[in-house]
Amino acid sequence: MLQSDGTPIYLQIAEWIETEILKGNFQADEKVYSQYKLAEMFTINPATAAKGLNVLANENILYTKRGLGKFVTKEAKAIIIHKRKNQKLKGLINEIVMEAKRLHVREEELMVMLKKAMKESGGQSGGSDSL
Amino acid sequence: MEVIHCENVTKLQGKAKALDQLSFSIKENTITGLIGRNGAGKTTLLKILGGLWRETSGEVKVLSRRPFNSLYVSENSIYIDDAFHFPSHLNLKEILREGERFYPNWNRTLAERLFDYFEFHPKQTHANLSKGKRSTFNMIIGLASRCKVTLYDEPTAGMDRAVRKEMYRVLLKDYLEYPRTIIISSHYLEELEDLLEDVLLLDNGKKVLHLPMDELKEFAVGLTGRSEVLLQWLRGKTILHQQNAGPNELYAVVKKEDISLPEAQRLGMTISPVSSSDVCVYITDRGQGGIDRVFR
Repeated sequence: MLQSDGTPIYLQIAEWIETEILKGNFQADEKVYSQYKLAEMFTINPATAAKGLNVLANENILYTKRGLGKFVTKEAKAIIIHKRKNQKLKGLINEIVMEAKRLHVREEELMVMLKKAMKESGGQSGGSDSL
Repeated sequence: MEVIHCENVTKLQGKAKALDQLSFSIKENTITGLIGRNGAGKTTLLKILGGLWRETSGEVKVLSRRPFNSLYVSENSIYIDDAFHFPSHLNLKEILREGERFYPNWNRTLAERLFDYFEFHPKQTHANLSKGKRSTFNMIIGLASRCKVTLYDEPTAGMDRAVRKEMYRVLLKDYLEYPRTIIISSHYLEELEDLLEDVLLLDNGKKVLHLPMDELKEFAVGLTGRSEVLLQWLRGKTILHQQNAGPNELYAVVKKEDISLPEAQRLGMTISPVSSSDVCVYITDRGQGGIDRVFR
């Protein structure tokens, strides 16, 4: 289930929980798996699993009920969608910039291309979400 | 709480220093991987911690006591390697019975289930087992003893890959059920790493690294790019490993904290992760200058 592509295991655990939340398998205010359950499932050290859970707690995707475990926040889904959008888009834009550099495409030229592409795809000016 | 504490521990073997001023401590209920090349001092360290060998100088504390000649440490710790010797007149079942008599926390159910699962026969003798089977049996003893301090020295030697995988899972499941302090030395770091909380890397009897597994995995990155650009940019920085990656292309491994990844990206370099076992090999590689380059 885990990949050995160099992504740290604790991030893979965090991503797995995020995906389960998106799929609706963990609902708002529902308890997610404990570090021990995750450790058993994925055959990993429970400290690593705890680190994955803490990443999500720091991002307000999970909250802690003392002595009871970690629960899904009401905003979790929105936060995950927002985060993934930003990361993916940011990655793609970085790639575009790199390729433009290799081809000696200047900034103005790239902006023209970008605007044209946006116009062609329906011409909306985008939301106010910060990138 | 610290369960193991070593301070300036040296072990002389003849004139050679098998351990050289080694200091570290290990927290209760953690799994630590003990990594290093052949002759790095792994076995020496584990045997001293288990009370089988005596340190030459320095302070060793296991469960707050000096392990050598301590009955308390001997009862609460176990050292497992593939040279584990048992009286030749005992068959396998009798060995398990003796284990149960000696170790206060012995789990008979686990021992018997594993014994059956791995298809041992009660009347077999230890000396007649194959190398892989012997390791499997020894590991069953290590698991069933449920000692506070469990020291495995190359426990999977000779096991086939399928058995190794099963044993890692057994080790983890039993640890979750009954947490204890475990140190495992192994040359199969990439198979084992997900189980580990910390890693202790030895080289020439000295400590090179002692850090959480997650940090070791992110310790280094590989950069591939045009040779002159890469070398220019890395001037004055520690290159742990380098090799040609095509005409005029170089692959270099550097410490992550030494460089800026966005800058590497801007310079057109390809960034790739470096596995923890490769990191360990690179920083103990004498040909390249190894540890001194890391800790310049």
